[in-house]
Amino acid sequence: MGADQARPAAEKPKRPLDVLRERRGGMSAQLKETFKQQQQMRKLMRQALKAGPKTVPQLAAACGIEGHVAMWNLMAMRRYGEVIETGEQGDYLLYTLKGE
Amino acid sequence: MSTIKQHYDALVIGGGIAGMQAALDLGEQGYDVLLVEKDPSIGGVMVGLNKVFPTLDCSSCICTPRMAEAAHHPHIQLRTWSEVTRVTPMAKGFSVRVLRKPSYVDEDDCIGCSKCELVCPIDVPHEFDYGLGARRAIYIAHGNAIPQKAVLDVDNCVFCGKCEKACPTNCINFLQEPEEVVTTVGTVIVASGLHTTPIDAKAEYGGGRFVNVLNPLAMERIQSSNGPFGRVLRPSDGKIPRSIAYIQCAGSRDRSLGVPYCSRVCCMYALKQALLLRHYIHGVNVTIYHMDIRAFGKGFEQFYRRVMAEGVNVVKGKVARVTEVDNQDLVLRVELLDEDRIEERRYDLVVLALGLAPGWQPGSVVGVAAGDDGFVQAPELKINPSFTSMPGVFVSGVAAGPKDIPDAIVEAGEAAMAAANFLEHSGWRRQAMVAAGAKAPVAVAEGVM
Repeated sequence: MGADQARPAAEKPKRPLDVLRERRGGMSAQLKETFKQQQQMRKLMRQALKAGPKTVPQLAAACGIEGHVAMWNLMAMRRYGEVIETGEQGDYLLYTLKGE
Repeated sequence: MSTIKQHYDALVIGGGIAGMQAALDLGEQGYDVLLVEKDPSIGGVMVGLNKVFPTLDCSSCICTPRMAEAAHHPHIQLRTWSEVTRVTPMAKGFSVRVLRKPSYVDEDDCIGCSKCELVCPIDVPHEFDYGLGARRAIYIAHGNAIPQKAVLDVDNCVFCGKCEKACPTNCINFLQEPEEVVTTVGTVIVASGLHTTPIDAKAEYGGGRFVNVLNPLAMERIQSSNGPFGRVLRPSDGKIPRSIAYIQCAGSRDRSLGVPYCSRVCCMYALKQALLLRHYIHGVNVTIYHMDIRAFGKGFEQFYRRVMAEGVNVVKGKVARVTEVDNQDLVLRVELLDEDRIEERRYDLVVLALGLAPGWQPGSVVGVAAGDDGFVQAPELKINPSFTSMPGVFVSGVAAGPKDIPDAIVEAGEAAMAAANFLEHSGWRRQAMVAAGAKAPVAVAEGVM
């Protein structure tokens, strides 16, 4: 027991994910910024869509972002099942959060 | 992932329709083939197309059975997410180096369940949809991908570890390294496919600057049922487009771009896309501006007439420039050649009929000669179209020059026959059989069968 206490604690092996992160030098500053902005934008978009179905221009106006940025993010949410089409308004489709 | 063998009869570089056809034709004759593809899935450009002209058959319905056949063929070894880095001629055959990029997924254990993809927190532009759609940092290439295995795009990984936790088979392997293997082959077929010419090459058309100016392959994805938007919408604001213009020869037949040749498929893919737009969007105005329509293949002229009969406007006119106006609509300043006047016309979307350029420059890797246009040179074009400047190395598909899908398939068959003939007459087949300890029938060993 006494001898065990004297022995230095064995270094915990690094997790493979940590090894990869270290090898790659972590996330680049640009990726960190892109990821952060994407998370914030998605939060805004979800809030706007909770208020009711929206077309892309309506969503872009509600979130204060450009139309093509809203479109790309909305289509990403659609692809992964967060958003569905629920109707048409003139030349535009209406999108709703799934389950709302 | 199965281990690479020490010897193959043939190496096929490129897993598009031409590469798959050449590999299948050789495999069916009993030759062992190594098929190397740089992307995570075979299928090339064709598997991303919506329909083919002039029959309007579903493109992936033609392509995916061939993909499955190539992947499961007993004589074809598939190596995706890999690149051929060196082909060195030897006294008999070639020494080949193949580099497999790390996918950070153990391919043998991955069951393609997509659970890793669903929990990944970051979306990035998807190459398969020409950036219009999204994928995750860890992803399966697309719904029809073969193999259905995930790959991790480590450049966009946020290192959260969620994929590892979600994987039911523990196949995420963050310690995977690039793997280079060396093998020998008796013959090589280059089937490295195509790129479109750069969309921003003609600055006056606004490609790369205006969101609603599209690459024709992006339009193929938009029209596909499994495309990025699920239906035809414009990328700037999700509007259902009511007026669409095609500008022909926007990347070909233009010496100022260094592309003096005709790309041979642009007239027909524009006619096909225009007709399908008329089917998909009620009352849409589609206009094709062209120098001349080249509808030279079997059934192409009839298809051209059908497209006009179904309401597509085909106008002889030269577009001088495209400008973006309010609402991101586009105004074309066009010289109407038959009416001898200049007019400005407004559209929701513009598609540039970009040309075909070689997808890969094999020169530094394989050592075959290329022409001024970058395509692999075929010195005996009229009698042996698949022969290159290097004995034992053959070319098929768009790697040799612009062509449509049927021509690529026919030429791939010719390349496979030429490669088989080379194997039989170079003594490679006999040498391989002796090395394997096989008692070959004399006829086979002598190259008669």
